[in-house]
Amino acid sequence: MERLLCVYVEALAEEAPDGSTLRDYSTLLDALSLLCPFTEPVRLGLYALPVRAPSRFFGGEAAVLDVVAATVREVTGHDPSLGIADGLFCAEIAARERVLVAPGATPSFRRRQPLAALGREDLVTTCRRLGLHTVGAFADVERARVAERFNKNAVVLHQVARGELSELATQRDTKLLGRLGRLHGAELSDVQLGFFGQRGDDDRAHAAAQRVQSRLGAGGVVVASLRGGRVPEDRATLVPWGSPASPARDDAPWPGQLRSPSPATTLRVRQGVELHDGNAEMVRVSSRGLLSARPRTLLSPEGRRDVIWHAGPWPSLEGWWGRSRRRAHLQLLLGGGEAVLLVAEAGRWWLVGLYD
Amino acid sequence: MAPVTGGGYAYEHMFAFPTERPTLPADLVATLRPVALATSRTLPLGEPWSALVPGGGLRRGTTVVVQAPPGSGGLSLALSLVARASVEGHWTGVVGVGDPGVVAIAELGVDLRRVLFVPRPLGAWAESAADLLDGVDLLVVRAPPRCGYGAARRLVDRVRERGTVMIVLVEPNAPWPLPGDLSLTITESRWVTSSRLDARHLTVLVGGRGEAARAVAHVVVVPDRRGRAAR
Repeated sequence: MERLLCVYVEALAEEAPDGSTLRDYSTLLDALSLLCPFTEPVRLGLYALPVRAPSRFFGGEAAVLDVVAATVREVTGHDPSLGIADGLFCAEIAARERVLVAPGATPSFRRRQPLAALGREDLVTTCRRLGLHTVGAFADVERARVAERFNKNAVVLHQVARGELSELATQRDTKLLGRLGRLHGAELSDVQLGFFGQRGDDDRAHAAAQRVQSRLGAGGVVVASLRGGRVPEDRATLVPWGSPASPARDDAPWPGQLRSPSPATTLRVRQGVELHDGNAEMVRVSSRGLLSARPRTLLSPEGRRDVIWHAGPWPSLEGWWGRSRRRAHLQLLLGGGEAVLLVAEAGRWWLVGLYD
Repeated sequence: MAPVTGGGYAYEHMFAFPTERPTLPADLVATLRPVALATSRTLPLGEPWSALVPGGGLRRGTTVVVQAPPGSGGLSLALSLVARASVEGHWTGVVGVGDPGVVAIAELGVDLRRVLFVPRPLGAWAESAADLLDGVDLLVVRAPPRCGYGAARRLVDRVRERGTVMIVLVEPNAPWPLPGDLSLTITESRWVTSSRLDARHLTVLVGGRGEAARAVAHVVVVPDRRGRAAR
């Protein structure tokens, strides 16, 4: 069961007649999502955050509580009730009680809750007559006894009591996600129809890219562009998001360009492979740009693959700035139906692209 | 057991439990803003998908699951889905595609100026995807082989809440743990060759929920001789 931090804000639990509650709830959700992207809107007034990753990031659960409490105060002006336990059922109780259930202590915490925590008056009344007052006492009843005495809802509650299910079905507002989505949709269309045209979209994308970069480092987000060149691995430019735009544009026709379709994966670091003919001899490209034999087998670190068809080689000799570079590209169709792009250079074969 | 304190909160001992629980809020939907126009709830699809996908577009807030064996064209197919929307000004995020074939993506018709790549999210693929969801309209995710149910469900919930379209690329031996709203499953992949690789014919099972509940097999060409998706 996952360790959850529940955030309960009483002021956002009751819907105000002017409809502002949902908007405030959404604003706080955005703020909490900056701390932990997996903040879950459970229902109005209640959020749940898986606490393991943030506590590593902020340095302990206490630090997460501090920063969450500060965020809620800053955004809403109200003090939240916070609690941590395993599973949503216990985490919500913990939040209302403002307690941290120590790791591993959730089962005993759950067992000593009064039966009313399961939220069914009828169950509480019947069980009281049977002398069962706590969740733990109810959990100790055999499942078969529960099934014969109560209906199937009670069997589900029994599973929650035993910790086999982490939450009650009534804890989540199933319509809430849809309502938040519509709220966003409404805001989005306002921006698009409004004064600034598409600007809103670009700003949103930039903000998101910045968030990922702060998580993964400057090279975490990259953008791509094309420049002139003969082969796919030369034509692609990938630069970290935010670096100065590359002035080169792919607008001129390039003689001898390898024709489309291009491989959907172009390896950034090309991978050394061996290409053999039927006699397990290495296939070579002659100085006239011809293959020494028909390729039969491709040997790569991933294993040995049969070559069932090939096209090329397409040789190219580039002599820029005095450094000449002789290469030849070869397309292969492998036994499993996959197609790959190889290049021969400096007496070796390299895998440069996958048509995946 | 002595109480352990942290951040001003004491680890629990025994507490009385209040029996009154908050009731769910009364339904006051009428006080909310009107729903946005139907067209803004759908992102456009280009050829050939507009004719093959129920509704002819990608509904915002939904998840598309593209399942394909490795090397059979799943990545090309997933990227072909975003091409039209990208040309019309929508932003796309691509998470977990380590070495994107930029030329191929451009050939598919995607506008590279509005694509953010997160090639190596390392351990934080789900967090990176969640971060990007806020800023893009379409998100292509190559899910790691062991993607847990919890992480998947949280992403799907967030996609629904943000009105993004998420396209998840998975392999048959590590399927997406949730059913997709729309699912595109490559069942057969065949290259047509001449003096070079010409075109790839994919047999795709188009299924999902609602209108797409009955899965139908279609043959599409991804990529064709020009590198585009076609029928």
